[in-house]
Amino acid sequence: MTNSVCVLGAGSTKYGKLNEDIIEIALNAAKGAIDSAGITPKQIQSGYISNVFGVADKQVHMAPVLMSNLGIPEVPGLTIESACGSGSVMFREAYANVKAGFYDCILALGVEKVTHTGTAQSTTLFSYCSDFFYEGGNGASFPGLFASIARAYMTKYKATEEDLAHVAVKNHENGILNPKAHIRKRITVDDVLNSPVVASPLKVFDCCPFSDGASAVILCSEEFAKKSGKPYVKVIGSGRGASPAAVQGREDIATIPSTVAAAKQAYDMAGVKPKDIDFAEVHDCFTIAEIIDVEDLGFFKKGTGAQGAREGETRRDGRIPINPSGGLKSKGHPIGATGIGQVVEVFEQFTGGAGDRTVKDAQIALTHNFGATGASAAVHIFQKV
Amino acid sequence: MQDQPPTNTHTRFIESALNGKILTNKCKNCGKIMLETVYYCPACSKTDFELLEFNGIGNVVTHTIQAVAPEGFEDVDSYAWVVFQVDDAPIRASGFLPGVRLPSELPIGSKVKVTGYDKKHGLSLQKVPEH
Repeated sequence: MTNSVCVLGAGSTKYGKLNEDIIEIALNAAKGAIDSAGITPKQIQSGYISNVFGVADKQVHMAPVLMSNLGIPEVPGLTIESACGSGSVMFREAYANVKAGFYDCILALGVEKVTHTGTAQSTTLFSYCSDFFYEGGNGASFPGLFASIARAYMTKYKATEEDLAHVAVKNHENGILNPKAHIRKRITVDDVLNSPVVASPLKVFDCCPFSDGASAVILCSEEFAKKSGKPYVKVIGSGRGASPAAVQGREDIATIPSTVAAAKQAYDMAGVKPKDIDFAEVHDCFTIAEIIDVEDLGFFKKGTGAQGAREGETRRDGRIPINPSGGLKSKGHPIGATGIGQVVEVFEQFTGGAGDRTVKDAQIALTHNFGATGASAAVHIFQKV
Repeated sequence: MQDQPPTNTHTRFIESALNGKILTNKCKNCGKIMLETVYYCPACSKTDFELLEFNGIGNVVTHTIQAVAPEGFEDVDSYAWVVFQVDDAPIRASGFLPGVRLPSELPIGSKVKVTGYDKKHGLSLQKVPEH
């Protein structure tokens, strides 16, 4: 395995409630990535698609449909599902295939459309991502599962609901600067604390929204990227991890083993340490998740993640900026697209496309995305070229 | 308990829960205990198990009270989803505990017990009163 793998071109739809059908949403992101890379569809050798609930929009087996509508029906593709981590897991597989030399140029695209199903059905659909026999089938929604994780964390480390609220406030501050974010609204700690309880101790403003949207990148060999003459970003680390599927199976509920394992692999491959990361896009489906993420990724000692948001260390101008895009919390969470959306943010940050939310002087960035309550996870590390 | 030929494992777990028990597999090779729904021992990958039932009683490890119930649970006035450590067993289980409205009604460490398995709501729990 000798290829250096690069991200050449990125595109994304707005995240939120979209009216187009799922294929049109996906095609809009694909076109953005293809145009940004300065390539033609004929240069794409494979299409990697991540999606979870296509069946809710009457479309599975999406890759051939997308390739056909991109005018390349002869190009093979596949669809990968790994719950909310589908995008990053798919990115990893696309990365591995370029790295191994099977392909020089891949379209990696994540897409989701769920808002048309309504909150009740969306909540039910998401619960199918849990270990359903033990969790969803016993009445736990996804907010409920993360609420149980939050209670375990708060009990162990004496963290407070106010600590969690600071994460939401910070990510909404960032999301205001992202024109493609789902919820562009400034909120206060009191807004979070006074919002209706969804599953105690989590409240509405502790939770990310259900979103529609698509994100796409062109993944290619460095040789291919150099020939394009377009700006690109290098992928220097990639890791995968797994945890017991059910929360009950974890010895320590206040950590997510898949994150720890994936991060170690990615750091080792990249030859960097947490202190070398200039910003990170992490999986903040709920406020508690970001607090646990920043500890499991090595940015904070266990039990001190809450202080990151509370003391401003994770703001854009802080010691380790977290989720400059607004994160899942504000940018939104179209679950099949989320992991690729994080890569789009890194690409925009490193190629001058992030506008007012640009993290100053950043050279190395990390993306972290997991499925369900962290049963599956992927971490990637990128370098500015 | 005698070894039984493999059937629908979930059915066996459910039958045990209906009797207020938690059914586990004990690995005959290494002795590890796991929930009965696991097919291979996570420690040694063997499949030769002894079925072992534990009283479905334990202490609350964590929980949430679902203010917004998922589909199928709207008919329950208020309930908690609970993870509990099974007494005398190195395993945890989780279930549905109706009638809880506030976190203060179910402190971490509270004693709960399995009361059955509801076709609609899964593994059912009840808080054990403190003496």
